[in-house]
Amino acid sequence: MKPLFLFPYWCRYLGYFLVFVHIPFVLYKQQLMGLHGDDADMGIFNGRHLFFMSTTLLMAIGLFIAAFSKEKIEDEQIVQLRLDSLQWAVYVNYLFLIISLVFSTDTEHILFLNLLVPLVFFIVRFRWKIFQNNRLIKE
Amino acid sequence: MKNNIRVERAIKNITQADLAEAIGVSRQTINTIESNRYVPSTVLALKIARVFGKPVEEIFTLDDED
Repeated sequence: MKPLFLFPYWCRYLGYFLVFVHIPFVLYKQQLMGLHGDDADMGIFNGRHLFFMSTTLLMAIGLFIAAFSKEKIEDEQIVQLRLDSLQWAVYVNYLFLIISLVFSTDTEHILFLNLLVPLVFFIVRFRWKIFQNNRLIKE
Repeated sequence: MKNNIRVERAIKNITQADLAEAIGVSRQTINTIESNRYVPSTVLALKIARVFGKPVEEIFTLDDED
């Protein structure tokens, strides 16, 4: 069975690194401008938009390659776990999406939630299952 | 689906790690198969059977629920 394209093993750590790198930038910006910044400067490709775009891209790309990098030993059980976790992540994402569509009109944050939830939930669930398998082997 | 990999391993005197290495999977995968938490693909079942030199049916048997 030939799996779909995955990033090499070391990309996982690069992904985590990118996610952690983006945090201090966002915190610094929030300290400087408050949570929503200066809305007077509207339009596309202004300072605020560029900053938002670059930090969000950094985080999204980091999460993406952390989620879709190979394991040390890539076998069919890992492929199965990955697919299961992906299905769970889509379910959870749509649950959040539906709840937020019903109870909120803040579309910018709904979009942001939609960007984060599937990948974060996928990574957490996938890692948790692998951790469980590793723990069982030690018993 | 039930299996007697643990018994076959004991007969052949090999560890989970040895079997895993022989068929190119992780030790965790062998462990989950042995404890019936994961059903291997036909390819993997055939590979396991080849290591023990027995037909697949002698190692994997259908359960009542299957």
